Amino acid sequence: MTKASWVLPVLLFSFTTAALGQTRVISGRVTASVTGEPLPGVTVAVVGTQSLALTQTDGRFSIGAPPGDVHLLFRKIGYQHRDVPVTAVQDSVTVTMELDVFVLDAVVVNGQATSVERRNATTGNTVVMGTDIGTQPAQTVDKALQGKVPGAIISQNSGAPGGGVQVQLRGVNTVLGNPDPLYVVDGVIYSNISIPSGLSTATGSGSNRGSGQLQDDPVNRLADLNPNDIESIQVLPGAAASAIYGSKAANGVIIVKTKRGQAGKATATVTQRLGYSELLRGYGTRSFTVAEAESLYGVGAVTPYIVNGQLPTYDHMQELAGGKPMSYQTSLEVTGGDDHTRYFLSGSTSQDNGIIQNTGAGRQTLRLNLDQTFSDRLKLQFSSAFNRTQTDRGFTNNDNAGASVTYAIAYIPGFEPLVPVNGVYPQPSITYLSSNPLQTAALATNDEVALGFTAGGNLTYQALTTDHHNLQFIAAGGIDMFNQKNTVIAPPELYFEQALAAPGLSTLSNGDARYWNWNVNLVDQFTPTAANYHLTSSTGVQVEDAELSRGRLSAFGLLPGQTNIDQGSLIGNVFEDNEAKRTLAFYAQEELLAKDERLDITGAVRAERNSNNGATDRYYLYPRLSASYRFPDLLGVGSDFKVRAGYGETGNQPSFGQKFTDLDAGVYSKHSTTTVDPTAGDAGLRPERVREIEGGFDATLADGRGSVELTVYRRHTTDVFLSRTPAPSSGFSTQIFNGGELMNEGIELGVGYTPVQTRDFSWVSRVNFNTARNEVVSLPFPGFRPPNAGFGLAFGEFFLQPGKPTTQIIGQIGIDPVTGNFIVGYMGQTNPKFVMSFPQDIRYKRLSLNMLLTWQYGGVAQNQTLSLYDCNGLSPDQATPAGQQRFADCGIGIATPFVQSTSFLRLQNLSLSYEAPESWYRYFGGASSLRFTVSAQNLFLITGYTGYDPQVSNYGEQAVVRNIDLGPYPPSRSFTFTISAGF
Amino acid sequence: MKTTTRSFLVLAIALAAGACNDFFNVPQTNQPTLDDLLNHPTRDKLAAAANGIFAGASGDIQSFIWRVGSMGREGINLSGNNTPDYSEPYFGPLSGSGFGAAIWGGRYANIRSINIYLQALGKTTELSAGEIAASRGMAQTFKALALLYVIETRGPLGAPVDVDRPVTAAPAPFVSEDSVYGYIIGLLDSAQTNLKAANTAGTPFPFSMPAGFFTFTDPGEFNEVNRAIAAKAEVFRATALNGCNGTPANCYTAAETDLAASFYQPGDSTYFKYGASFDFSTDGGDQVNGLSDPLNSSTYYALPDFLVDADTQVGGAKDLRALSKIVPAQDTQVLGGIPINGQLKFTVYFTGGAVDLNHSIPIIRDEELALLDAEAQIGLNNLAAANTILNLVRKASGNLPPDTLTGGSPKAAYIAELLYNRRYSLMWEQGTRWVDARRYGLLGTIPTDIPNGNVPAGAVPQVMPIPDNECNARGLASGCAP
Repeated sequence: MTKASWVLPVLLFSFTTAALGQTRVISGRVTASVTGEPLPGVTVAVVGTQSLALTQTDGRFSIGAPPGDVHLLFRKIGYQHRDVPVTAVQDSVTVTMELDVFVLDAVVVNGQATSVERRNATTGNTVVMGTDIGTQPAQTVDKALQGKVPGAIISQNSGAPGGGVQVQLRGVNTVLGNPDPLYVVDGVIYSNISIPSGLSTATGSGSNRGSGQLQDDPVNRLADLNPNDIESIQVLPGAAASAIYGSKAANGVIIVKTKRGQAGKATATVTQRLGYSELLRGYGTRSFTVAEAESLYGVGAVTPYIVNGQLPTYDHMQELAGGKPMSYQTSLEVTGGDDHTRYFLSGSTSQDNGIIQNTGAGRQTLRLNLDQTFSDRLKLQFSSAFNRTQTDRGFTNNDNAGASVTYAIAYIPGFEPLVPVNGVYPQPSITYLSSNPLQTAALATNDEVALGFTAGGNLTYQALTTDHHNLQFIAAGGIDMFNQKNTVIAPPELYFEQALAAPGLSTLSNGDARYWNWNVNLVDQFTPTAANYHLTSSTGVQVEDAELSRGRLSAFGLLPGQTNIDQGSLIGNVFEDNEAKRTLAFYAQEELLAKDERLDITGAVRAERNSNNGATDRYYLYPRLSASYRFPDLLGVGSDFKVRAGYGETGNQPSFGQKFTDLDAGVYSKHSTTTVDPTAGDAGLRPERVREIEGGFDATLADGRGSVELTVYRRHTTDVFLSRTPAPSSGFSTQIFNGGELMNEGIELGVGYTPVQTRDFSWVSRVNFNTARNEVVSLPFPGFRPPNAGFGLAFGEFFLQPGKPTTQIIGQIGIDPVTGNFIVGYMGQTNPKFVMSFPQDIRYKRLSLNMLLTWQYGGVAQNQTLSLYDCNGLSPDQATPAGQQRFADCGIGIATPFVQSTSFLRLQNLSLSYEAPESWYRYFGGASSLRFTVSAQNLFLITGYTGYDPQVSNYGEQAVVRNIDLGPYPPSRSFTFTISAGF
Repeated sequence: MKTTTRSFLVLAIALAAGACNDFFNVPQTNQPTLDDLLNHPTRDKLAAAANGIFAGASGDIQSFIWRVGSMGREGINLSGNNTPDYSEPYFGPLSGSGFGAAIWGGRYANIRSINIYLQALGKTTELSAGEIAASRGMAQTFKALALLYVIETRGPLGAPVDVDRPVTAAPAPFVSEDSVYGYIIGLLDSAQTNLKAANTAGTPFPFSMPAGFFTFTDPGEFNEVNRAIAAKAEVFRATALNGCNGTPANCYTAAETDLAASFYQPGDSTYFKYGASFDFSTDGGDQVNGLSDPLNSSTYYALPDFLVDADTQVGGAKDLRALSKIVPAQDTQVLGGIPINGQLKFTVYFTGGAVDLNHSIPIIRDEELALLDAEAQIGLNNLAAANTILNLVRKASGNLPPDTLTGGSPKAAYIAELLYNRRYSLMWEQGTRWVDARRYGLLGTIPTDIPNGNVPAGAVPQVMPIPDNECNARGLASGCAP
């Protein structure tokens, strides 16, 4: 077999049937091993030639071959490849292919323009197939990955439908830098930015450029991608692999490939999903005796609520989030084409309504992917997607104004009625800043509409083919752009608005982004005449340009019934932000595949300059080197055992503007002003640097029935972006600079086994395990409080200190009896001891059951929702000694009750599908398959954590300061029924 | 093959070279930078920076008033959105990372803006020598004012003053309370020299003066505000720990000299409201006066003590100041966390009986100068002269009969009468009650107002703490007293 067919199959989809030297035709049929069904779309190659063919709908193929004994190689995504010898006299073969349940056969990216068979991969990686995503409905792609990637911690910032998910690969590698993995969708760098909605203008939780907007519970733009369009997702968690992406890869790389057209008769799949969701858990209500209420609020405040000598108890959480809203999705996929042109077309529309009134998320998507072969030498792949996402979030999270419903509800005792009487909402007298949260939920608006377009192309030119060289010129590039519009409206009749000097708020925000990147590459494969090795050399240049532009304006004092920003009496919150980031990179890579493809050594270096660096003309180098060695049949015939080790360096770019010390503009007494911004920039800022060493093994048991993949890594981040809090007397509250060192080390383990695989019954059982430890190795000062660390030591705050876990929380844990001062101490770290997930796929005849259970052990969160309830004396158990203790602690300023363990067990998904027999649908016009699925997401959550959800994040996407629970959108469980028909 | 590779490399290098450096030199596209002000200090940029000093000075005054006012039981923040806002001043102790960390960083941030402005003045070629002197005089006066707010709350703990150093340098050392006052007075005197020089040259300020300096718009007039602040600094310095180098009389004498050079109109109560103010406005980009709190809002409340403790007018009505600064709230505010219900609201910043977000807040005004005069006279043992002033204030502001002090009354009684009038005249303007009680060692006279409450006296010293960040940046534990 040649190197070419192994390393670059994607690039060699040339449907040559009459190449030189072919004198005979081999025909045959390919079927699936367990079911015996014919397999269409299998790529058949004659090893050592350029000859390729595809199987048809009935699994049949014919292919030209040279005389003499040959080997045929059969490949299909989702199946293990087969290498079948065909003798000189044989002219037909029958081949069965085994399911590749553990994705051993996938081709994984290992360079800017190259890829490698997963079994030869020199670094740990995970490939999740679209079919695995399809069986477990998820609203967004990142949610769909939850529990399926060893080493990834994927959490939802709130329970709101739609986006707002963060993915963390291999620990905490930065403090201030971008915490997000790099997303590459069909070769296009995809912006997963979260642009705040402007909700903070209503909740008063901060300023435009400050921390406030982080508390808006924003949507990350990955939410725009339709999960049903995905063919596969490859996760490169480690630097040894991701160094090919240089200074964007410190947090790993997630490479998404969307579905591509299949040649042959056009097929269509229609899917309809219907479902509903309901509150998973929320705070209970304290039942008051009259005496208890009077001691808390005073006699006069309670008297009006006494009915027949007692106080009633209303369940305000149920009133607010007790709905059972509907959700639906309708989608259509069409694929077809011929040997030269193939297409994949999909469209979908969905709506997931939220459990709080007037909230929900909807998405409409349209995708066209085209593959065009111009000749044996020239081939074009084109991908494009258009989407519209509407997200209605409502008013939740932290608040200083009475706007957030989940915040205000923690101030309102259960004896006060909130539901409207004759259409009029009662105004509670004991409340937070005059709020009636039910009124707010009913009348306020926090809506986002995002329009996005992503398109990319990949042109491959077979420049030179000789006996020893195969030279390709590959040009790729694409654009990702979106426009986002947010409206936040708090009408003047809301009680919390009426208490303001200019009631009624309308905020209009706009964001538009344009990312483009292109690269040109030369890839040469060298196969020497009589040596047992291949060399793949590649070199290229890459250019990226990312532009982001945002604006915002609020009107106050709205006219009744009016919402436009020109309908108010005052204008404020005026904000505009324009950013551009530009990168130029050169790279060179060499891969050696030797010893019968047992040994693979890959090394590369990338040189990169970036406009966000202090020195914009300086190139930073990102090298990598990794190797693997396979021992075929070591664990029995058909088994494979591979050891691998690698080293790589990646980086994290400074954020736009961090190198400048700014002047802030303002107005004073009608004159323009400038004041020195409290953040001191660093004109010499460099990218953060991650150096990682990893090693591990991949074992495949006989027949591909089981697999074990283990990776151990240790990574150090140096030149960490630090925001020291200088002595405030310096006049700066923050100083940005490079320094210090963070360490992450961990073990990622993926185990898969197929205990049973028969025609009627199969069971695929998987366990993913991840444990990671992180530590601040050194800092150039004793310690620092990262931005948005919390709400003071009275509640617990993040604090970075050398020798301590990166995500440690400290707080006031007592009062020194001698000095009377608070004792500040360690309260835990958010990083869990381990996370395990248990994806199970069980099929019995036509029934299949998919289940995903996640278990996190260890870790803590700041439960500031609890502190709200406790400080107000409103926790359900407040009258008990434990509740009284927490109430007292809050009054004194003791943080102990508000930092809680986040260990949990969550049944993330349970799905039952039925593949209908042909007799059910044969009378529908041309139907070829019919499938019913009932599924439940988030069915249960078992945890000692008393907040809303142990994984929420008030400040959204964060490297360190996540796990702050402060009145987020409550979590829900959902049930769906899906019917899917193929034509 | 080789040729192809070579031509490709040539292409790549050409691309790199051709990728014009301007493409990668992306400037700060959102706002001006500090380097630009320092390297290109034009007249207009300096004018904007000068107005930024006024803005920066006004920035923390609302926080100062309600926080120090809470400690002195003038009022309480019952919004409930942040428990320490009421729990720390009412239950104590003050945390160096929470409530007690306030009124520090913001003042030093303004000092940073002032120091940058002073550096830029040294580099400009667009201003005349007279304009530079006038600008320096203004900037130094505000630097002194910023430090005065800091030391008022920290008292014997002292504060850093030599803070014009790179952010990467070691923090400025703390100096004693008396030294801080000495530094403040030195700055004000240096400012006076600059202002007088500009005035002699007949040079106006090279920037627009804010409305709050309505008759103090040229350097000579502005110096009258400078002297008023100097008088306050001298009087406060006299009550500092080892104040006035141990000879308080010198400071009281200096205060009298300063008052004479200020806008103070002795014996004339019609000028009581005359002075310099911070401006607030609903204009886009400006700050509003959030202490002008609607009667149905649930944030700031006055405490009933203010009515209870008031002297009575002839005829039995309470001190006019108590009656005019407080009204019943529209809604009672009840929080589970503290047994004080919000029932009274402030009207100090109302205009025509209504909320006015554009209402100014005094920096210093004639009535306060009269009271500083009285305090200096007490300090100099001119008790009769002091009493004349106090009775003028009682009559003019409170419609009260003369006090009952006689020549035989102890000095402490004069001080009590002084503090009563400072409390009622400067209510919700200066955090006066707590600051004065601390200065005179009378924190015990402030009631806790709640069971198990604690007026933030701490143990010793009786001050707001040094912020934890300030301690930690020096490698010291929280609660430090460097």
